[in-house]
Amino acid sequence: MAIVFACAASHAPGMTAWTEAAPKEQSEKFLGSYRELGQRLAAAQPDAIVALTVEHWANFFLNSMPTFCIGRADHYDGPIEEWLRIPKARVPGDAELSAQLIDACLDSGFDPLFSDELLFDHATYLPLHFLNPNMALPVVPVIINTLTPPMPTAKRCFAFGEFLGQQLQRSDKRVALIATGGLSHWPGEAQHGRINVPFDKKFLDNLVTGDHRQLTAYSHDEINREAGSGGHEIRTWIALAGAVQHWKAQVIAYEPVVPWATGCGLVAFNP
Amino acid sequence: MSLYQLQKLIYHVNRDAEQREHYRQNAVAFSRKYDLTEQESAAILNVDVRALYTMGVHSLLLRPFTLLNKVSNEDYAKALKGLV
Repeated sequence: MAIVFACAASHAPGMTAWTEAAPKEQSEKFLGSYRELGQRLAAAQPDAIVALTVEHWANFFLNSMPTFCIGRADHYDGPIEEWLRIPKARVPGDAELSAQLIDACLDSGFDPLFSDELLFDHATYLPLHFLNPNMALPVVPVIINTLTPPMPTAKRCFAFGEFLGQQLQRSDKRVALIATGGLSHWPGEAQHGRINVPFDKKFLDNLVTGDHRQLTAYSHDEINREAGSGGHEIRTWIALAGAVQHWKAQVIAYEPVVPWATGCGLVAFNP
Repeated sequence: MSLYQLQKLIYHVNRDAEQREHYRQNAVAFSRKYDLTEQESAAILNVDVRALYTMGVHSLLLRPFTLLNKVSNEDYAKALKGLV
């Protein structure tokens, strides 16, 4: 068994919390594509979802901020945001798969934090709402620090993804691998609402052409300047590109949704 | 400057219901539990968005904190006008 599905998706809270603020055509097109991606995931019949994800001060603070963290819980509660308009629920975990990944990491020069209790904020919960209806499939969260510097380099994220991908390809489970975050957005910043469409399109193009050299060359400063503090989340997409680097990326949707203040992308990776 | 303490206070208010209640009941007493400068205390107690942002409070700590203090999107944007 192996990775049977892979996709990357944005998680702007406005997608559910203030859906109707966006032009109807734009929101219907994007969220319709999100649901279709969920159907594709289900059709691949995975046993579990591994989510390359981020968090927004849900579990960690500056007293202890992991660069990489793998959840090892039997379940995860969420979403923490009361206003997200997604019902709270308990998401099953796959502690066995988590433990396998953690062991493999420590045997191979990656030393992630592990955690037996994590809450999901919209970063993980919103994509799961579309990709894992009724939270039927167990989830293994792999959190990358894209919240506050210093963050792992694009190169390191790609390598970490590459390593996880190799492990999952050898797994006895059928795994759906998802990445969540981005694209350009400046949440709560002075430039809140800005979307850098040329940056987003260039990044998507890097994925589609499989330009791993460029994907691993993005610097912290460039991302910060061109894609905003929220844009750092593209590190999860870069990790995914590392995990399925021989697969072909296909842009399912890209919408710069101003009321959601985010360049919203959906990319499927096909073997 | 004690940005760490400032952000810690905001993190506690944002993420811990019990601490948020203490903050709501008596913000002055609550803020004294943190090692803040006079300016930092004033910025917290006045919910001075521009001052807190300029001091370096992370935007994803600041925005939820200001939402809890009923700062509208318009007022938030206005407070940050002209900053980069």
